[in-house]
Amino acid sequence: MRKMAAVLLASTAAVLCGCHAYQRGEVSQPVPRPSAVLDFATLYGQNCAACHGPDGANGPATDLANPEYLALVDDAGLRKWIGSGMPGTQMPAFAKSSGGMLTDAQVNAIIAGMRKRWSRPGALEGAQPPPYAQTQTGDAKRGTQTYQARCAICHKQTRDEITNPVYLALVSDQVLRTMIIAGSPDIGQPDWRHDSVDGKPATPLTDQDINDIIAYLDGLRNASPGFAGTAAEPQSGAPAR
Amino acid sequence: MPRVNGTGQRIYAWFERRLQLEGPVKEAALHPVPRNTASWWYVFGSAAFTLLFLQIITGILLALIYVPSAAHAWDSLNVLNHQVPLGWYIRALHGWGSNFMVAIVLIHMAQVFLFGAYKFPRELTWILGVFLLLMTLGMAFTGQVLRFDQDAYWGLGIGASIMGRVPFIGGGLVHLLLGGPIIAGATLSRFFTLHVFVIPGLLLLFALTHVWMVLKLGVNEWPMPGRVVRRATYVEEYNKLAHEDGIPFVPGAFWKDLVFSGAVIAAVAVCALIMGPFGPGGQPDPSIIQTVPKPDFFFLWIYAVLSYLPPALETPFILIAPIIGIAILLALPFYAAEGEKSWHRRPVAVLVVSFVAVAWGSFTQLGTVTPWSPHMSAWSADAIPAKFLRGASPLVRQGANVFQDKQCRNCHAVGGLGGQRGPALDDIATRMTPDELRFKVVTGGGNMPAFGKNLSPAEIEALVAFLDTLHPPNQRPAVNPVNEVYTSTHASGGEDIPAAQGAPR
Repeated sequence: MRKMAAVLLASTAAVLCGCHAYQRGEVSQPVPRPSAVLDFATLYGQNCAACHGPDGANGPATDLANPEYLALVDDAGLRKWIGSGMPGTQMPAFAKSSGGMLTDAQVNAIIAGMRKRWSRPGALEGAQPPPYAQTQTGDAKRGTQTYQARCAICHKQTRDEITNPVYLALVSDQVLRTMIIAGSPDIGQPDWRHDSVDGKPATPLTDQDINDIIAYLDGLRNASPGFAGTAAEPQSGAPAR
Repeated sequence: MPRVNGTGQRIYAWFERRLQLEGPVKEAALHPVPRNTASWWYVFGSAAFTLLFLQIITGILLALIYVPSAAHAWDSLNVLNHQVPLGWYIRALHGWGSNFMVAIVLIHMAQVFLFGAYKFPRELTWILGVFLLLMTLGMAFTGQVLRFDQDAYWGLGIGASIMGRVPFIGGGLVHLLLGGPIIAGATLSRFFTLHVFVIPGLLLLFALTHVWMVLKLGVNEWPMPGRVVRRATYVEEYNKLAHEDGIPFVPGAFWKDLVFSGAVIAAVAVCALIMGPFGPGGQPDPSIIQTVPKPDFFFLWIYAVLSYLPPALETPFILIAPIIGIAILLALPFYAAEGEKSWHRRPVAVLVVSFVAVAWGSFTQLGTVTPWSPHMSAWSADAIPAKFLRGASPLVRQGANVFQDKQCRNCHAVGGLGGQRGPALDDIATRMTPDELRFKVVTGGGNMPAFGKNLSPAEIEALVAFLDTLHPPNQRPAVNPVNEVYTSTHASGGEDIPAAQGAPR
């Protein structure tokens, strides 16, 4: 009988603790429709983290947690890349209007979340960066010299080779330009003002310098980069997902 | 009957004179059972019976709020979870009570089988028990449907498509089950009727008859090797055992039933408290495609079996296997009505139970991890572990982008995340040379699709460059011994591995 009493007591205690737990609200909230999710952490974790890294950095794609990048690109630009994808790169389109799964409100929530989490006032320290979008064509010959003088100091090593036509086939001019201007702290790529991420100031690259470097790199692209004679013709546009 | 006072006694006598229950109750309670029957192994049946009552009580409480309509069921469950005081706890008790009931009924059945308790004269008790198991599973399935969320919706779809495979009358059966050609308002009303009236009514009737027979035929004696059941002599032998070395059922054996039932209820209460109610998951809307519906725990094994069956065997298996299984269970007490009860002398019985338990456990585990199914969100959600990208070349980083963007990750895990349909690729470079990787990506083979037409040559090269970095730091990547000498250009992570002749395959 004592055992029974003990069991009964335990059950009663469990139920009473249950009241307490209810007040603590430990039951999970109703599961929202996927299109109604506006929480940045959830949206970013489900859609962006794989390539851009769980915290916006240390992924294979652009370092989004870079305040300079966020200062350089405006909301319209981000909306365009997220919504419609980035031509010439692996960035796919996420907006429903382009065949993705995200509503416009969700794309906006991602942009707002990125700014809230990773933007830093004064990230550019008052400096005026070259424009985000290229406005003029560069000179490849001059670009060769600029590349040798300003880039090859790091990119001379084989592993950091960015003159590989295969690499260049997978990145757009805009990606190269963004990388040169804003840098990428997670991999040690300095911005347009510095020679290294250690913060050694240098003569900032001008818009013209950048245009020239990109013209030089563009000249290294060839019609059939990669392993000859294996794959079929590249598909036009992004493959259906 | 304790003497409370004169009035109480008079009231009792008034009822007893009319009901005349005292005699039968006393007889049932005090009937002698063999001393060794009062064992902790004989408590599962009563615990299942107790759980049935827990389910009835919590079920009635839930039915006060639940709305069995396709439009409002999901909302009413959320009202129970979030607005009705302790509603979540009643749901949790009912859900965990259901899990415990299925588990205890199965344990009870295995114990009865291993103890030979189905043999003469308890054949009908066993047969009713088989139906009780089926009805318990029926309650579990219909209950899962009433928890009208995405799992329920798609589970119902699978149930209906199984029904639809019955020859000739399949269409009619689906119509009967769903209350129309599609899952709609009438469907939930039907399942509500089944779950709340039809099956519980039958369950209660069968369970009471089952208990009645247990009381009338006596609790099975402890099986002893060499004590063989024979129709001609068993009843006499049992009565002799019960009377010569017996104890009254109450309290001799009954206290253990009470203690165990109490412990089970307490366990349900604690599980419900700590782990809370089951769902409801996402809204039952078929237009939401971001869902991975799964059956509840006790049906996961069927989910796994059906997933692994070749398509040609699905219909025969679905339609024939359950009939054979149930027929075997029903025929068992007639096939083996006599003979040894002890498991020491019944190796086949022990083997069968072990085999079923291991098979059930394995399929349930497979149903939990679903290695056959791609993880459709892995390409955009599962990050590449930073260690694989540390010091990686620009080309390798682009290769990692290709790896994610082309959804390789949905089938191939890296760093423990991703699909399991294909092999994990954490150390793929130690197993395949760049040429082999390139060939595999382009041509596929061995359950992998060919990606040659979906990738540009540059994408293939970048992908192979990335895959070729996936090896432990202290282990060299594979190289072709015929024409390659390993150079540091293949190394990842910035460390240079000395050139090696021959491939460490």
